[in-house]
Amino acid sequence: MEALLHFLPQVWFVILALFLFLYVMLDGFDLGVGILSLTSSDEARRSILMTSLGNVWDANETWLVLMGGALFGAFPLAYGTILTALYIPIFIMIFGLIFRAVAFEFREHSRRKVFWNFAFGAGSFIAALGQGFALGSVIEGIKVDAAGHFIGSTWDWLDWRSLLVALTLIQGYVLIGSTYLILKTEGELQKTHFRTAKLAAITTLIGAVFITIATPIFYETARARLFHPPQVYIFALIPLLGVCLVGLLLRSLQRQEEITPFVWTILIFLITFIGLGMIVFPYIIPTQITIYQAAASPSALVFMIIFIGFLIPIMLFYNIYQYVVFRGKVAGSAYGD
Amino acid sequence: MDFLSDTVVLSRLQFALTAIFHMLWPVLTTGMGIFLVIVEGLWLKTRNPDYYHHARFWSKIYVLNFGIGVASGLPMEFQFGTNWAPLSEAVGDFFGSILGFEGAMAFMLEAGFLGIMLFGWGKVHPAVHYLATIMVAFGANLSTFWILVANSWLQSPSGGEMVNGKFVVSDYFQAILNPFMVKSVAHMFLATLETSLFVIGGISAWYILQNRQRSLFSQSLKIVLAVAIAVAPLQIFIGHLSAEQVYHYQPTKLAAIEAKWETSPAGKPADWTLLALPDEANQKNTWQITIPNGLGYILEFKKNLSEPVLGLKEWKPENRPRMVGLIYYSFRVMSGIGFFFAGLMLWSLIQWLLGNLAVDKINQQKWLLRAWIFAAPLGYIAVETGWIVRCVGRQPWTLYGQIRTSAAASQVPASNVLVSLSIFTIIYTVLFISTLYFGSRIIRQGPNLALPVPGLDNQPAIAPQEVEFIPDQRPVES
Repeated sequence: MEALLHFLPQVWFVILALFLFLYVMLDGFDLGVGILSLTSSDEARRSILMTSLGNVWDANETWLVLMGGALFGAFPLAYGTILTALYIPIFIMIFGLIFRAVAFEFREHSRRKVFWNFAFGAGSFIAALGQGFALGSVIEGIKVDAAGHFIGSTWDWLDWRSLLVALTLIQGYVLIGSTYLILKTEGELQKTHFRTAKLAAITTLIGAVFITIATPIFYETARARLFHPPQVYIFALIPLLGVCLVGLLLRSLQRQEEITPFVWTILIFLITFIGLGMIVFPYIIPTQITIYQAAASPSALVFMIIFIGFLIPIMLFYNIYQYVVFRGKVAGSAYGD
Repeated sequence: MDFLSDTVVLSRLQFALTAIFHMLWPVLTTGMGIFLVIVEGLWLKTRNPDYYHHARFWSKIYVLNFGIGVASGLPMEFQFGTNWAPLSEAVGDFFGSILGFEGAMAFMLEAGFLGIMLFGWGKVHPAVHYLATIMVAFGANLSTFWILVANSWLQSPSGGEMVNGKFVVSDYFQAILNPFMVKSVAHMFLATLETSLFVIGGISAWYILQNRQRSLFSQSLKIVLAVAIAVAPLQIFIGHLSAEQVYHYQPTKLAAIEAKWETSPAGKPADWTLLALPDEANQKNTWQITIPNGLGYILEFKKNLSEPVLGLKEWKPENRPRMVGLIYYSFRVMSGIGFFFAGLMLWSLIQWLLGNLAVDKINQQKWLLRAWIFAAPLGYIAVETGWIVRCVGRQPWTLYGQIRTSAAASQVPASNVLVSLSIFTIIYTVLFISTLYFGSRIIRQGPNLALPVPGLDNQPAIAPQEVEFIPDQRPVES
């Protein structure tokens, strides 16, 4: 029984991590393309950018809805406490997502597209910014009382470290967005995104280096966990692997390969994510409330595994199928050549 | 203006605003999804190009609504954490799980197949495309199911009990099958269907009156009519059953719906008020029009009440809903619209049987068509007023009889909520006006009959122009 009480929250921690990773990867390129659209000089290019997302943006965003529902059900205490503490960044994200979502259809029908172009690009940027601040302040820790209720102030989330995380996340989104566009476009447009990908890879790397250095310096608990064997070997390995992957990414961009940049970027995201997960685990509100304290009752966790857990392979299957159906270049993306 | 510094009131206002706005979009797409399944099925079966044009034309209106539905749904979910954290913690075991199921079963299914349904014409086998259309409609209706399971459980909590301020579930299936569930799901399923049928019917009637593609749109009007003839009376019946469960489980809500201050004992007849002006301060109606002995007939189809109907005075003011007038009139607006729909169906059915809806005669039925156009927005109003009755009438409880709304709200600064509420008000006003504007533009443009029909040799006489690339149009669509 004791083992089960530990095992079930761990299962849900892993499932939530999977949902969050899928969201960050998929909506990451989605938002990244949105941010890149701010730099598009003409309507034709912007059209291609939006078309490359037309059939997938909704499914990508749904991973966020799914992650929210699963967090609510599996760790109700954490859901309430984290979202209350992050009231402002969460609503910043929501307002951003609303604007970019409606821009897809409204821009299509509008004759004066400037407004909806801006709504799409700025909405994507704002949503990513809100997510970055939320992520940054969750890693930093949220002030709670012994029962796990939020006792901090409403602006706690805003400081230079969460700003650093937010800016790095935006760079990461631009990077994965650029490599996605390399996959989906041809000609001049593709060349542009080889350049933006290279630039974003470097800025993401700089941000990640700063965060990696700052985390053990500013967080005692992280330091205590990081610098003890055997963890120290794993944690030393992650930045090393990260740097290698960035190297491979830059090389593939140099050689103008089409598929590999996207793959390397996903691996960079994955390795970062594993590193973050290892710093956070076993906390759900770092470093105050563990997953065991915040978990719903074992019966609820089992109930949810039955109804959600077994659907995960099916969800993955039809999502992948959708990508397979719409594989290849966006029609007309060689425009201007 | 005390409420401007009251977090609970502002959080309630924000939830009400976002819910009322959000409701407008999925209510159409859930019902229209079923219509799209019908027309695509008819297209595959008969190969009549008209049905193909229906599938393409209505899905344009569908997708316009869909995006706003998705976008405005996000704040619904996240508000439980940001504004209602104590509630989330207390009921997360069940309520949170159900929202998770909705995401995994309903939203993902809908989203995973939407791309294929909208842009997959010609890219996948027709059977796969049809499967995608079915999955989108199925996903949307599953979402209705899970949301109504969750809300019904708030109305009639069951399957466990409150222990130390937390709802501990002992039987999940009993919680899912709570007393309100079956009838509420049925009522909302029919409501989405009915609303979208009358939107489609109203738009079709407008085209017929304008003499534009008369035969095409009398087709859609007849499909709508064939379904709505069954749905409209059935909805009145399910609505009656829903009122009956309120009578048994939520006496405070029933008293507010009827603006009833004094108790009527069992075994005797009671008057029913058709119209009244409730005065909450003095606990009476300033004036009212009553129908003698009407209440027993309305609730139970017989003269004498079998259970007492309690008046609002039975409870202390803090234990019963406020805004009695809002609840009272919302209920009457909703049921009035339900009866109007049924009457319109009867009128249309008679004309149909008389043969007056034949393509060459239908545009002479000017008043009937105008009534259909008038009916187009009414479904939305009925849905919104129905939810006002359901949720304002549940007050002062969030979890009926267990958790008060005042105890369910997060302790966030009122200024935060005031700012987010104001931004929502502005954004949603812009989105509402924009959708009406773009929606009416799509309708005025009408169906694109020049679209090449897959699998047909006899392409339309007006051949589509060879377009190289028009940047302002989606390259993948045609």
